[in-house]
Amino acid sequence: MAKGTHRDAYWVMSAFPSPSFDPELLRRYDRPGPRYTSYPAAPRFRTDFSEADLREHAGRSNADPIPRQLSLYMHIPYCLSPCFYCGCNRIITRDRAKGSRYVERLIREVEAMGKLFDRDRDVIQLHLGGGTPNFLGVDELRELIESAGRHFHFSLAPNRDFSIEIDPRFVTPEDIAGYAQLGLNRASLGVQDFDPEVQKAVNRIQSVEQTLQVIEACRANGLRSVNVDLIYGLPKQTLEGFARTLDTVIEAHPDRLAVYGYAHLPELFKPQQRINPDELPAPDTRLRLLQLAIEKLSAAGYHYIGMDHFALPGDELAQAQKAGTLHRNFMGYTTHADSDLIAMGMSAISHIGDSFSQNPRDLAGWEIALDHGRLPVWRGLHLDTDDLLRADVIQQLMCQGTIDIAAIERRHGIDFQDYFSDSLARLHGPIDDGLVEADRLRITATSRGRLLLRIIAMCFDRYLDQTPPPDAVKPRFSRVI
Amino acid sequence: MRALPSRLSRIPAAGSDEPMPGDGDEYNFCNTCTFSRTCLQSGYDKGRLRDLHVLIDHVGPFREGEHLFREGDPFTAIAAVRAGVVKTYVNDADGREQVQGFFLPGEIVGLSAISHDRYPCNAVALDTVHLCRFSFPDIADLATRIPSLQQQLFRLLSQDIGKATLLAGNYSADERMAAFLVSLSRRYAMRGGTSDRFHLVMTRTDIANYLRLASETVSRVFRRFQDEGLIQVDRRDLKLLNLPRLESLARSVLRE
Repeated sequence: MAKGTHRDAYWVMSAFPSPSFDPELLRRYDRPGPRYTSYPAAPRFRTDFSEADLREHAGRSNADPIPRQLSLYMHIPYCLSPCFYCGCNRIITRDRAKGSRYVERLIREVEAMGKLFDRDRDVIQLHLGGGTPNFLGVDELRELIESAGRHFHFSLAPNRDFSIEIDPRFVTPEDIAGYAQLGLNRASLGVQDFDPEVQKAVNRIQSVEQTLQVIEACRANGLRSVNVDLIYGLPKQTLEGFARTLDTVIEAHPDRLAVYGYAHLPELFKPQQRINPDELPAPDTRLRLLQLAIEKLSAAGYHYIGMDHFALPGDELAQAQKAGTLHRNFMGYTTHADSDLIAMGMSAISHIGDSFSQNPRDLAGWEIALDHGRLPVWRGLHLDTDDLLRADVIQQLMCQGTIDIAAIERRHGIDFQDYFSDSLARLHGPIDDGLVEADRLRITATSRGRLLLRIIAMCFDRYLDQTPPPDAVKPRFSRVI
Repeated sequence: MRALPSRLSRIPAAGSDEPMPGDGDEYNFCNTCTFSRTCLQSGYDKGRLRDLHVLIDHVGPFREGEHLFREGDPFTAIAAVRAGVVKTYVNDADGREQVQGFFLPGEIVGLSAISHDRYPCNAVALDTVHLCRFSFPDIADLATRIPSLQQQLFRLLSQDIGKATLLAGNYSADERMAAFLVSLSRRYAMRGGTSDRFHLVMTRTDIANYLRLASETVSRVFRRFQDEGLIQVDRRDLKLLNLPRLESLARSVLRE
């Protein structure tokens, strides 16, 4: 037994090397790129994708011999207070009554979407995201989840993931107990940085005590997993301060951690205009902050999953990566294979069958559609066979760090070397720099390349060479580091 | 109430035809043709058949959801599927659809109309369908001159009738599903396709309707077959991993 365990552990390390940190390399490859929570990335979506198209794809998705299970995402756009770093689509208000009016419409959307899907398709994943889902009270969340339970069939499997994003500043232990009663079993907490200077600069004052209290309440109420979000590259951030934050967080022992890089794009994200660019850490410091996070988390036993995500070795994400069953969708990494993602609420993006579709990014647009009895579809995309093939390749890369060439050829009926000759040519630079190793069987990110998965994926992205269609919104991507 | 005129009974065939791999020409039969061997063995090559005006218009493509003919249309022709899959169905008195059968490349649609003046069912393309259309009076006339063609027509007719009665018995869901998969496998194999891997064009509702099962049951059995290692399902792509086991499950339905 011990031997087997040891071999497994070794195999994990060899197949998924910890990221190694090479500042010079990272600096050179630090360029804007999609995050590949979808392929094609959202800027490729087209506004001629209609409600009828969504219905068509939903109908087709019911017709498979074994229809996929379902994931539900519900977007709560409201926040009580503006964090200046935020690039999300959110609405700041103190008026809690707006929440109940929003829930009323969201329930109508749940009802309308529920009609499109056969009842024997189990909901295996449900996620409440934002904004701030805990802007809503427990009673409002109950209404929402109960309506979802009426219009969809919730899986009874013990591994179903029902999760909520929590702003720890506005939640009580009683609220958390309420969430647990609603069947929520995972929580994701925003922390960013505990350094008081940073918190002032980004307008998010959040004490260590209140954060730890929330983590404690999650555990006490039997939530299966707690995730903590941190951000590096924030104004006034220092190595000393961020080191203290990391130590504090590691001591709280969350099951998962996400460490995002702050992308300063004030012309794109209005709240960021209130950040003083002079206070942003220099590029070198930024890299050292990332390095610090990787080193401390690795030393504490966290496993690097990919992109910005870390998990304890016993966590399902780490296990799934080991088993080759890890997936990635708009909610990030997940253990649930290829479910159809039904996303509801303002700006939410669904992935149903071979399509993406997105709701209006403005509240009025979303409300008007629902008030007229329409499904609120703003834009979307039909995936063609080329899109599906490239999505598969990029998914393998983002989740397993490697592309199994024979598997791709078998699944898609292509000759890889021939089909991807352009991509393979683009890989020469990354190969010479030691980011990637490629032979006839596999293309694998090395430890040097693991932090630059986006760069490798970009070599397989057909659309980066092209100008977007005339009706698409001009793509703007954050930097890869 | 008819939305579109059906196209099989429309004469002459539209010139919208696109060449396809395996297509015949002036002198050669298409490689899916069910009549080619019979005719050739009797000394009728394609040129001679054309001289006899029996045939043979290539029609299509029919797009997914497009009807080849509808119940009650005047019967003039039978058609061999060259590519794609065709579903035939009727609507019962309550307007509920009853699926009668699925027709794969090489198989003949419209045989059940032979004893009528009109088509007794609807036929719809499940994906992009290309057909080879035979004037029925002409091929019947030709059959009087080619005994083996006559036999071939009889054989096809009895197969068609057999197909319809096959599932009428009191069989379990597992038996019906296994028979369905084995039948598809054999029919694809007969036309030179792969017999252990195919793409299911029909929806699970259509399969359920055809097998007289609930669609939840169809998925449940598919899932169980997969768990037991009999098949592997990836969306619509199906791989048969244990054909002998499926055949033994299907034995009573297939009357073997």
